[in-house]
Amino acid sequence: MNGVALDQLELQVRRLTGVLAVGFVESDDLVLVEVQAGPEAYDELARDITVLASEHVRGPVAVELVRWGDGGPHVSERRLRLVELTTDPGAGDLTVRLARDEEEAVGRASTAGGLPAAVEATVAAVRAFVPELPYLPGWARTVETTPDRRFLVVSSVTDPFTRTHRRGTAEGATPIEGAVRATLAALNRTISRDL
Amino acid sequence: MTPTNESLVAAARDGSGLATVYRALDELVDLYALDDAAVVVDVPGFGRQVLHAGRRPLRDDEQGLHDAEPGLYLQPPLDDPVLNQLMMALGTMALRHDAGAAWGQ
Repeated sequence: MNGVALDQLELQVRRLTGVLAVGFVESDDLVLVEVQAGPEAYDELARDITVLASEHVRGPVAVELVRWGDGGPHVSERRLRLVELTTDPGAGDLTVRLARDEEEAVGRASTAGGLPAAVEATVAAVRAFVPELPYLPGWARTVETTPDRRFLVVSSVTDPFTRTHRRGTAEGATPIEGAVRATLAALNRTISRDL
Repeated sequence: MTPTNESLVAAARDGSGLATVYRALDELVDLYALDDAAVVVDVPGFGRQVLHAGRRPLRDDEQGLHDAEPGLYLQPPLDDPVLNQLMMALGTMALRHDAGAAWGQ
């Protein structure tokens, strides 16, 4: 992505109401646009950023919107947390254990699918808490490996009926852990009211 | 002129305002061997804005920059009021300049 396009995209995104910061991670096959937004941010902000990004970026682009504050009394959101991630090379499967307070659930997937198996197992575990979850597993990609061997991963889930995609980014000690945490990041914001 | 100054001036001459601010932040990081640098500005038409060295995402924003007052934020901190003011001025002018340039297109 050339500098001029990057400047134009960043400038336009910064002019959207509520935007506080814009950052980019570029890999060979994906541009990740991370936007931090304050309490003035409006509901359709993510959509507007995605439209701008797709106008300025050739090829796959992922947008992550991080919202801060809600302008009202702080109410802590319920979130699912990762308890354990195990792989069994002999059986060829991957197990993700999530928790909501003291309650736990497990999701499994075949490791034959590669990194997307982490998304699949995580979505399966989330569905145990939110049976009506509309999102299906999508993809996961490692977009950056840090010098201290941490892996930054983007993952995507899709609602096939509304054709909406939710993407999250997270770091992990392995790409699989990063993908599980990224999938949780993608889903936790939308399922908190259902938990 | 040192090579650092030279490339910063070249960015100001040929590049955008945003590119110049990021160049300045990156060169501060290099010059003082910093872990990180960011400048927070409040610009009419944009509101409060955080510009982070390397155009990198803030991710979990461990420094709390999303809620920070305008100023220059360096890790580790460096107490230099003139540098602080210059970087805030540069960041403010950069956004105003780029917005004006985009408006004129």
